[in-house]
Amino acid sequence: MSAVIALVIFPGGVCILLAGMLYEWFDRKLVARFQDRIGPRWFQPLADTVKLLAKEEVVPDGVNGQLFFVLPVIALAGAMTAALYVPVFGLAPSFSFSGDLIATIYMLSLLTLCMGLAGANTLNRFSLLGATRTLTQLFSYEAPFLLALLGPAIVAGSWRISAIADYAADHWLILTQPIGFAVALIGLMGKLELPPFDAPEAETEIVAGALTEYSGRGLALFHLGKGVELVVGLTLVAAFYLGGVANPLAFFVKTLVILLGLAGLQALFTRLRIEQTVGLWWRYGALLVLVQFLALIVWEGWVA
Amino acid sequence: MKLSTMWKDALGSLLRRPATEKYPFVRLRAPEQLRSQLHWDLEACTGCGLCAKDCPADAIEIITLDRKAKRFVFHYAIDRCTFCAQCVVSCRQGCLKMSNDEWELASLTKEPLRVYYGEDADVETVLAGAPEPDAEPAPGD
Amino acid sequence: MPAKGEKFIIPIGPQHPALKEPGHFEFSVDGEMVTSASLRLGYVHRGIEKGTEGRNWVQALYLLERICGICSHVHATAYCLGVERLAGVEAPPRAQAIRSLVGELERIHSHLLWLGVAAHEAGFDMLFMHSWRDREVVMNLLEGFTGNRVNYSANVLGGVKCDIDARQTDAIVKGLEYLEDRTHHYLEVVTSDIMFLRRTRGIGVMTKDVAEKLGVVGPTARASGVARDVRVNAPYAAYDRYPVKLITATAGDLEARFIVRVQELFETYRVIRAILADLPEGELTVRMPRRIKEGETISRVEAPRGELFYFIKSNGSDTAERVKVRTPTLPNMASVLTLAVGHQLADMPMILTGIDPCFSCNDRMIVVRDEAGQASAWTWDDLRQYGIETYR
Repeated sequence: MSAVIALVIFPGGVCILLAGMLYEWFDRKLVARFQDRIGPRWFQPLADTVKLLAKEEVVPDGVNGQLFFVLPVIALAGAMTAALYVPVFGLAPSFSFSGDLIATIYMLSLLTLCMGLAGANTLNRFSLLGATRTLTQLFSYEAPFLLALLGPAIVAGSWRISAIADYAADHWLILTQPIGFAVALIGLMGKLELPPFDAPEAETEIVAGALTEYSGRGLALFHLGKGVELVVGLTLVAAFYLGGVANPLAFFVKTLVILLGLAGLQALFTRLRIEQTVGLWWRYGALLVLVQFLALIVWEGWVA
Repeated sequence: MKLSTMWKDALGSLLRRPATEKYPFVRLRAPEQLRSQLHWDLEACTGCGLCAKDCPADAIEIITLDRKAKRFVFHYAIDRCTFCAQCVVSCRQGCLKMSNDEWELASLTKEPLRVYYGEDADVETVLAGAPEPDAEPAPGD
Repeated sequence: MPAKGEKFIIPIGPQHPALKEPGHFEFSVDGEMVTSASLRLGYVHRGIEKGTEGRNWVQALYLLERICGICSHVHATAYCLGVERLAGVEAPPRAQAIRSLVGELERIHSHLLWLGVAAHEAGFDMLFMHSWRDREVVMNLLEGFTGNRVNYSANVLGGVKCDIDARQTDAIVKGLEYLEDRTHHYLEVVTSDIMFLRRTRGIGVMTKDVAEKLGVVGPTARASGVARDVRVNAPYAAYDRYPVKLITATAGDLEARFIVRVQELFETYRVIRAILADLPEGELTVRMPRRIKEGETISRVEAPRGELFYFIKSNGSDTAERVKVRTPTLPNMASVLTLAVGHQLADMPMILTGIDPCFSCNDRMIVVRDEAGQASAWTWDDLRQYGIETYR
């Protein structure tokens, strides 16, 4: 019974969706303030979702109807499932098993994969290009991001998120693994397709990328999925590097601090072309995280 | 070569008041020179009609009820006006003036956008014979 | 996905977030590399040249002013200069100086707008928002002086209709100080921001020969080293009294186009200060006849985008016989097709924005002659009938 409640209402389900919308609002408001604008009011993402759900969903010609219908659902389901294993709102994760770090990261990638498939499903040129770019970007940031999250796992000696979070609560890993933190932060931007890594949904080049043909319910579900992904990603980075999230207050403060940093980085840089993104990640990203790993291994070998 | 050149602007914008205003709740004052709704002075008008002839949008119509007694009605179509102020320049008697404050002229029906200036009795006479504002324009309009 | 070697065509336009106005570009891509490009214009053809035939000289001025929103004043200036030349009158010196003043303020407005739009196409929204915030300064100056933020309607046949007093002069001088400060900052951003330069340096390179062969005009040509500017080569209005320096660059890539336009801003600030310091006294208008003498004339001015060309023909009545307009974007548009080949698709919006396109200015009627050399002209009713039948 408590499992069902955790799945549907709190802390999963409805609550994580609302949290996703809240964090999306924070992000938009902060970016607007950096750009000297007022920014949207607090209920804007909720209003957007309600509006999209109320609109007609247009199914384009030539797509596989079942895939078109089911992909947004799978994407949102993946994101929400990932939320069950991370300590959202500062509470202990509802479910946890050894190795759930890998499962969580896979669930988050499921969202990106579904978006890529959704783009490849249609006959629209822009969607096909967007799908290609989404998948290319997935291949480039995934490895450094995963390795950056693996650093804390190695020092904590476990693959279980709750165990790593507990370990991190005593040791602030941002101080001992600063490079890992930087790569994790920027990798999060790549995962969420935030500028400067928003080539897959570059508005001025390919309209809306992989999601061009989606409207109404499908688009609403994808947006909700992105909001949830934002919360889960922030929780992971905060829990691992900023000393764990022991209670709701610490959770909100730490994730909002990271979000402030993300919003600042978003506002400051030009969008990169897709081959520049890949080049950046496979040259600097992978190199930095390997340097971090080397330092970790040497340290462990020295101390142990 | 710098990695980021606008970080000072970003920080400054974050800490200062934003540059945009919440319009319906905050209404800024327009400058004196702004060209908004046109106003007509009956006393000075001689009915020459140069304003109507020179208007690029056919927004002005001078309806002459009695030329000798200088009884005119000035029919002004705000929805056609482009606020260019050519009529103000063309008028030799200086009876036209553009106000600088009436720039919120949007309306859901056409009626408020067709304004008749003149003596009340004259305007009544003209309105009695005028077509409905929302009717289809006659061919050649 | 089609097999390699097949044409995969990406349409940009007529409706696309990259374009502010409709125009249809078709890029054939292979992966992300563009292999060929083609263009179709005409979506914003409004029949303005035809419209001048039913209106008198004064009404036609306002119609022509609305060919474009950002370069409206230069259209009106070109027309007024041409008609005044036909009538054999010359506007008084104060009016000419005010015409140049508004023209230069409009140039600031246009270049700041372009800077923001180009930054937005590159994904650099910070520069977009900030340069548009600064553009509000110049729009408020223009509103305080002429009475409107766009389509200033400062010109009348025979002179100008708005005068400038000491208070507005002070406001302009103060506004220019603020803008000059910000422009220095933007020059630094455009030339030294690493990630922005990765999107602009070496992209869309056009050498001087190619520029001259394609006939490009304006800052696009000046960025490739072609030293042509109507204000310098054939001064009109008050530009012989307040000379302008010609700004060129040699690299010919996108970065050079940015640099040329930003440095033109500095030159514009200097010219405006020179005009304000030395404004001649006198009247604002001179009397113009309602019927213009028979004759034809041409009139060339420097719009913010390049050389604007007017041909005006009068048959002695109070309406124009023919007004022909050639706007600067038309020759520049062809250069996009040449430059696009060999670049990534992601660079296409930037290359297009680099020429500062104004599609509304662009669309004019083309006369097609058949083999016998016969040209046929359609009347208004013919055109209407054709439209009804085609789209039934």
